[in-house]
Amino acid sequence: MTTLQYLIRLITYRTRLYVFNALAWSIIYLVPIVPGLITKEFFDSLTGSGSLKMGTWGIIALVLGASVGRVVVIVLGFITDVQFRFRMGMMLRRNLLQHVLKQPGARAIPVSPGEAISHFRDDVDQSEEAASWSVDVFGLTCFAAVSSYILVGIDLQMTLLVFLPLVVVVSVAQLSTSRLQKYRAASRESTSRVTGAISEMFSNVQAIQVAGAEERVIERFRQFNDDRRRTMLKDKLMGEALNSIFANTVNLGTGLILLVAGQKMQSGSFTIGDFSLFVYYLTFITSIITNVGTFITHFKQMGVALERLLTLLQGAPARLLTLKDTLYLRKGHDEELAEVAAGSVASDAAGPLRALEVSGLTYRFPETGRGIEDVRLQLKGGSFTVVTGTIGSGKTTLVRTLLGLLPKDEGTIKWNGRVVQDPGTFFTPANSAYSAQIPRMYSDTLRNNILLGQREEDGALEGAIHAAVMEYDIEHLQHGLETMIGPRGVKLSGGQMQRTAAARMLVRDAQLYVFDDLSSALDVETEQKLWERLFESRGDATCLVVSHRRAALTHADHIIVMKEGRIEAEGTAEELLRTNETFQELWSGDERAKG
Amino acid sequence: MTSERRMASRGHYGELLRRYLLPQKRTIIGLAALLILSTALQLVNPQIIRFFIDKAQSEADLQPLLLAACLFIGFSVVQGIVSVVATYFSENVGWKTTNALRGDLAAHCLSLDMPFHKSHTSGAIIERVDGDVNALANFFSSLIINLIGNALLMIGILVLLFRESWMIGTGMTVFVIAAVFVIQRIRRLASPLWTKWRQANAELYGFIGEQLEGTEDIRANGAAGFVMGRFYRMLRVMLPLRIKAFLGFASMWSTTIIVFALGNAMAFAISAYLWKQGSITIGTVYLIFYYTELLSKPIEKIRTQMEDLQKADASITRIRALFETRSSIADGPGAALPAGALAVKFDDVTFRYEDGGAEPTLDSLALQLQPGEVLGLLGRTGSGKSTLARLLLRFYDPQEGAIKLGDTDIRQLKLNQLRKRVTLVTQNIEIIEGTIRDNLTFYDESIRDERIVEVLEQLGLGSWYAAMPEGLDTRLASGGGSLSAGEAQLLAFARVFLTDPGLVIMDEASSRLDPLTEQRIEEAISRLLANRSCIIIAHRLATVQRADQILILENGRIIEYGRRTQLAADPSSRFSTMLATGLEEVLV
Repeated sequence: MTTLQYLIRLITYRTRLYVFNALAWSIIYLVPIVPGLITKEFFDSLTGSGSLKMGTWGIIALVLGASVGRVVVIVLGFITDVQFRFRMGMMLRRNLLQHVLKQPGARAIPVSPGEAISHFRDDVDQSEEAASWSVDVFGLTCFAAVSSYILVGIDLQMTLLVFLPLVVVVSVAQLSTSRLQKYRAASRESTSRVTGAISEMFSNVQAIQVAGAEERVIERFRQFNDDRRRTMLKDKLMGEALNSIFANTVNLGTGLILLVAGQKMQSGSFTIGDFSLFVYYLTFITSIITNVGTFITHFKQMGVALERLLTLLQGAPARLLTLKDTLYLRKGHDEELAEVAAGSVASDAAGPLRALEVSGLTYRFPETGRGIEDVRLQLKGGSFTVVTGTIGSGKTTLVRTLLGLLPKDEGTIKWNGRVVQDPGTFFTPANSAYSAQIPRMYSDTLRNNILLGQREEDGALEGAIHAAVMEYDIEHLQHGLETMIGPRGVKLSGGQMQRTAAARMLVRDAQLYVFDDLSSALDVETEQKLWERLFESRGDATCLVVSHRRAALTHADHIIVMKEGRIEAEGTAEELLRTNETFQELWSGDERAKG
Repeated sequence: MTSERRMASRGHYGELLRRYLLPQKRTIIGLAALLILSTALQLVNPQIIRFFIDKAQSEADLQPLLLAACLFIGFSVVQGIVSVVATYFSENVGWKTTNALRGDLAAHCLSLDMPFHKSHTSGAIIERVDGDVNALANFFSSLIINLIGNALLMIGILVLLFRESWMIGTGMTVFVIAAVFVIQRIRRLASPLWTKWRQANAELYGFIGEQLEGTEDIRANGAAGFVMGRFYRMLRVMLPLRIKAFLGFASMWSTTIIVFALGNAMAFAISAYLWKQGSITIGTVYLIFYYTELLSKPIEKIRTQMEDLQKADASITRIRALFETRSSIADGPGAALPAGALAVKFDDVTFRYEDGGAEPTLDSLALQLQPGEVLGLLGRTGSGKSTLARLLLRFYDPQEGAIKLGDTDIRQLKLNQLRKRVTLVTQNIEIIEGTIRDNLTFYDESIRDERIVEVLEQLGLGSWYAAMPEGLDTRLASGGGSLSAGEAQLLAFARVFLTDPGLVIMDEASSRLDPLTEQRIEEAISRLLANRSCIIIAHRLATVQRADQILILENGRIIEYGRRTQLAADPSSRFSTMLATGLEEVLV
């Protein structure tokens, strides 16, 4: 998508609003035509060459009237502008967020969250500015047309001189664009390094404090800041030089008029009133051109912003950025909004799981080339399969790739014999539910953290809480299920977070439950209960579990041992104990763990 | 705003300026010189036009007219150059000052306690440390150029108008004062509207930030709709706030337009009167008109400066509030700690997370650990085990009782002194965006690469390290990325191995390791713990095998405490019951 296409797509998101806005701002630009004429009349009336004969007081009344008119249009213009730019900016943010949430969950953004936020904030703001300033182009055109009509009526030669600076400005702006873009890109990059550093710093406060590394971290941060200062200065210097050229075109134009006007004034063919009108319009033309220059600048910068926004899309078609769906801002949209929130966009249920077959599944981390290679596995409906292995053997990568949380490089996944095209979309409720190794809590109530929009149906929540062994914890929280948790609320312990995630998974009706290392942060008694209740409550659901706990291994119908990204062995615990060395060590390790 | 609060807010502007602008004195003096030059050039041009008009009315000689025109153009060009140079310097000052402020603010936030960080998401802190400070950058840099430069221009114009006639001088002075007053009034109406909009913004990005960090859970549990629903609901709240903020903006602009129309009208009336009296020339009428128009620039600029101030106002208030947030953990005066292993003592420590909260998390806890001993701390989730670790590192202070290292109350120690000697390994994985080296040393350049590699090998990460394409310079993604949770946890171990603590606390540190790996690093841990005291927090018995003492916690109280060997030998002890339960572990 080119920058221009992007701009057009932004404008056409709410075409009617944009037209109103452009209309309002064109009028705002046109209004100064009137005071210019009044001023001319004032000087001409003094020197006796005036034609209207309305006297000083009449002229003063006109000046005041024109300004009141202008104010009215300005208020209107601001309303149309804010309505348009708010919708447009939020449309972009919505599309970005929506896209990110559709990406493989473990690789949803290609940059750190702090950096991604700066895309959400600054790059969208930049696009918003450019689209909003584009109306100034219409304003300029209107003003230029009307004023040149008036000026040509007075003196053609002088009129050309007035518009000469315009040519200068436009060409200077054009010539400097590539420079401007380069500096802008550099300054934006150094800015996102700074925001990235802040985000890193404060997401890892505890690690930094524990390491006593505050001073070193801050020292590095100050260096990033200084880099930013340098790139920013270049950027600003360039911008300011352009601005200064724009601003000085008034003086330059006035000087040119002076050069030519001397003779004409002496001969009486050019009055002081005419002179004042020329200078007056020149001021406005230049200020409008400056605004158009600002637009051109914003437009170029929007090109940079667009590029950066596209990186967030990770190669998806650029049109996704400007999908024109509603933002549900009006009251009439209440019902549709409720529907969206209830997650009616979830995948279609594919029916009871009889067999899940995976073959040739491969994923390599782009940074290191490690990952999983050619994994083949089979889950029978209603079975309980455990994936085990030492750390770094690819257990988590395997389940993530299977569920589409990482984009598979190769391999096919078949659900009841039918190939799953888009695992990321397919492996969601009501087909599957998942609890991550390190689950995330959001700043919301515990209830909402478990439900995440799921409708509460007859005791499902209570059931899930019971199965996840959470009752005791909830009793001890001050507001029970309504306690605010997450980054801005009560901080749950590692075990509580894991069990919340388990409840989050279990409250969803699914054919396949996948849990990654569910019990790593649990004490033995709680873990024991958790496994028991899981077996009780899962019904005929199929389970795929990553664990090296004996409690899980002994319950397993089938065990898969991973080593260095490949399946090393599989079978029942008994078989593996006889044949597989890694498994023997893992098993006896857990045995020893029992002290 | 009451007058008292106004005074206070001026007070902290003054303080900020002193602290951050004063070190830039020399640049500022240079800037002042440039400003005076630029102002003078702007003031002289209208005089040239007057000369031109009056000459054009009277004489037939074209020569002086052309000269005047050229002079006009020349001065304009010089003025343009001067203003670019001045902007460059003022931008530089602006960035230098705000960089200093940003660094100080970040350092301050980093020193704050856990309750602060728990209540502020990193998104919200970005908004403060970057967003708010950026709003100040405009303020700092344009303060000099716009506020002072334009004030100079304004005064210059008024003085020159007085030279023409006292009547027009007085009239315009009254006009300027009234204009500034009215615009100031409107500003005060509009300011709170902006604050609200910025707050709503901060909340939105805080929300988005949380979602971006937790995409996995949302995606796999089909909760995208829920997230989008919340997003849409936030938009509904934000739109009216933004409209109000914009209308505040519009009202300021409208006011200036009306005010200037009035000023123009007055200039017309007075100069028409003086002209009819025959006391001024037509060139002077134009001069007055030109100066009146020229006045709009400084007043307009001062207005936009006020807008920046308005944004800065809100930002300064928030920044100050942040600076004034004191850590509830006061840094100690500093005291000597013995070298080597540290003794640990808890004197009847009672702690609640919330003051006056119902049940204490730790209740009259007393324990004593000799230098070099290992304490195994057992208890179920929520029994207060991790809290004990947090108290030792002073993430919190107990309400009653005291904690001593050696013979020193830890509140007497400097925080960084304490945290250098006491290290904590948790099950939380905190991987920062940066190289492997950065992650292990936290930018401590005194740690040699060979030492790092040696530690990685000791921890069994040798083959993992060998696979890294750029060795220690390989970049790790924020939050771990391509690392498995177990590998990340081993890296956290490695961090500790690179420091020289007297007390090591391992809080479920091996819970993400599989038994095989755990065994493999046993030896490395033994070496780490040689001549160090250690507290091992665990919910598994195997982990506490090396402990000299065992302490079992329940609901913040000690239910069993003694030497491991004795407890194991005593068949009535909880510990031995646990050991004896055999196949299935039970911990109650």
